[in-house]
Amino acid sequence: MAEEQKKNENQKRRTATKAASMIGPMVKELIAATHRAKAEGKKLAYTFISCHYEEIVRAMDVVPVWTENFAGICGAKRDAERFLSRAESLDFSRSLCSYALCGIGFDQWREDLGEMPPDPPWGGQGRPDMMLSSGQILCDPRNKWYQAAQQFMPDVPNYNFSIPWPLYDDDIELTEIEPYYIKYIVSELKGLIAFLETQTQKRMDYDRLGELVNLTERTWNMIWETYELRRAVPTPMDTGDAMNTMVPWAFMMATQESYNFFAELNRELKEKIARKEGVIKDEKYRLLWGGGLPAWFALKDFNYFNSKGAVFPVETTYRLIEPIYRLNIPDTNDPLERIAYRWFRYWTYMYDKAKKRPGSEPDVERLIQFIEDYKIDGVVMHEAFSCRTWHLGLIWQLSQLKKIYKPVPFLTIGPDGTKNVEHRELPTLILESDIIDINSYSEADTRNRIDAFIETLESIKKQREN
Amino acid sequence: MSVYAAGIDIGSAFSKGVIFKNKQTLGFCCIPSGGDYRATAEKIKKELLSKTGLSSPAPIFTVATGLGAKMVGFADVIRTELSCHARGIITIFPSVRTVVDIGDSYSRALRIDEHGHLLKFLLSGKCAGGSARILKKIAKILQVKLEELGPLSLRSQKQVDFNTNCAVFAESEAVSRIAEGASKEDLLAGIHRALAAQVNNLAERVGIEKDYALVGGGAKDEGLVKAVELMNGFNLVVPSEPLLTAALGAAILAEEMAPA
Repeated sequence: MAEEQKKNENQKRRTATKAASMIGPMVKELIAATHRAKAEGKKLAYTFISCHYEEIVRAMDVVPVWTENFAGICGAKRDAERFLSRAESLDFSRSLCSYALCGIGFDQWREDLGEMPPDPPWGGQGRPDMMLSSGQILCDPRNKWYQAAQQFMPDVPNYNFSIPWPLYDDDIELTEIEPYYIKYIVSELKGLIAFLETQTQKRMDYDRLGELVNLTERTWNMIWETYELRRAVPTPMDTGDAMNTMVPWAFMMATQESYNFFAELNRELKEKIARKEGVIKDEKYRLLWGGGLPAWFALKDFNYFNSKGAVFPVETTYRLIEPIYRLNIPDTNDPLERIAYRWFRYWTYMYDKAKKRPGSEPDVERLIQFIEDYKIDGVVMHEAFSCRTWHLGLIWQLSQLKKIYKPVPFLTIGPDGTKNVEHRELPTLILESDIIDINSYSEADTRNRIDAFIETLESIKKQREN
Repeated sequence: MSVYAAGIDIGSAFSKGVIFKNKQTLGFCCIPSGGDYRATAEKIKKELLSKTGLSSPAPIFTVATGLGAKMVGFADVIRTELSCHARGIITIFPSVRTVVDIGDSYSRALRIDEHGHLLKFLLSGKCAGGSARILKKIAKILQVKLEELGPLSLRSQKQVDFNTNCAVFAESEAVSRIAEGASKEDLLAGIHRALAAQVNNLAERVGIEKDYALVGGGAKDEGLVKAVELMNGFNLVVPSEPLLTAALGAAILAEEMAPA
């Protein structure tokens, strides 16, 4: 037993920050809290991340059960296979979103037994009183997952709401269409509130909702400011840790604990920067995690990058925030309008920038911004086969980037007339596996790719030095 | 006296070795990898030594590469196949900028600079789709030798279309086509075209820049080479010993890295 425990500890990913190392117990507590809430008679709701409904759900005293989080936990513990297989045995295709398959497999098993399946990861996912689905961020499983789950929980209502944003187009005029979108999003949020009021038999406290919206906005600012500290060389925190610290962003938004967590992380990073303490001692290559959800069962691959002198000061994944001041949200006392503007402007504020670069797109602009701000040497992406929503665009984004970061040296002339030869070749690596389906993963293959990528970075560095 | 440099490439089907000194190849060998890579590496070392007349204690600096590189107990350094292919091909053909290695378990596309530095690369997926494995399977089904595949394919009059990129599904699809009466020649031409499309897709994703070379076991198959050429509309570059490129590159790197 002791040996097994030691082996498990050895398998743990090494974190660079104390904050990231605290995440495991925090997640366990989040799940335990849902079980306690259920026992106390509170209402539980299945929820998805990044739907901007956290303030509404919390203001109604409904306890969120983050189904993507639970699937991720199963993946990280390498214990998803039995739930995926169960879903497959119910005729759900293995090529569907593996988060959804895992959740469906677990739910069906729990409903079948009338209790948690054996050895449920971290206590298991509690039975919901309602489900709140939304297919925004263009993820169709987030529309269909809970509908499918209703096969096993026909008594649990599912409320599907929509908060859209306009897809990018060169000739889009945001100022013309924004009022319509805001009006529509507010009406959808009102519909959600009406549903929650029916389910809980309580009225929404709009003052409390307003306070929670303020808290969320302060938290967004704090996260942005904190993550920007990672620009430091050497970087004090990399993406490996950010895949942990996403928890208070994704699953604890609109709570004081989330704000406090990032305030504490902010303090820790500043201390590390003052001590010039990096993720690794000899930082050779700075990489951007340019997209795709991680393989939760293989987070140790970040340590493998570190062992080769590579760090990730920044990532696009789980960085779905901007400082609120940058979004120029109009003055309004209506908390629903504030949520609507925050949503709309987060997704569209890069549009003007993209328009100025022919062939670009907002997602590519975000990559360029991070590449320049964080002094990036290479880009790594992860194609998770079961996450169609995200990985379909990755290769296109890389091909657009290739047009900007060309392999040929070019001449620049500075303001004082000095001529410089610059190299902007930006090597890229695409890792291939899945978010939680470990059958898709080969450690030997992945590490072979990483080794080759490091050799590429080394080659380019030498070429520049010559 | 400078040391000898050896490059050992342990692949999933074949293992290769090159011994090198003063930028000259002194000997090489290629044997099936079998199931014990450690023993295979020792066998290659012995064979290389016998070809050069060296005795075992002679100072040899070794760079190992390939799937079983870690099993080469006497290796001084391990490098990936990609870097080794890059160095190997640029030594043989200095004008090459795009390389595709068609191996038994993977295909790999590389873009390199004039010094043989790796600029960009892509590997085929975890499954055998896009690798030369399918050629072995088809040869077995058709009961022909691997070296016969190319000439047969080039005699095709009407190639068969394949609907899958998967090596396993392609095998069953081939059996169905045989049952429908397709000739060996047409079947092979279809297989070559399907594989060529996958290989070329990798190359396009790293950016095809001439000269474009094919290496690895697949490059020995002239039917496949022709299919890739037809897809691009220009001739490819293929070394006379395409299986040895990575081992040669490893030997070159070994000579550079060896202590003076």
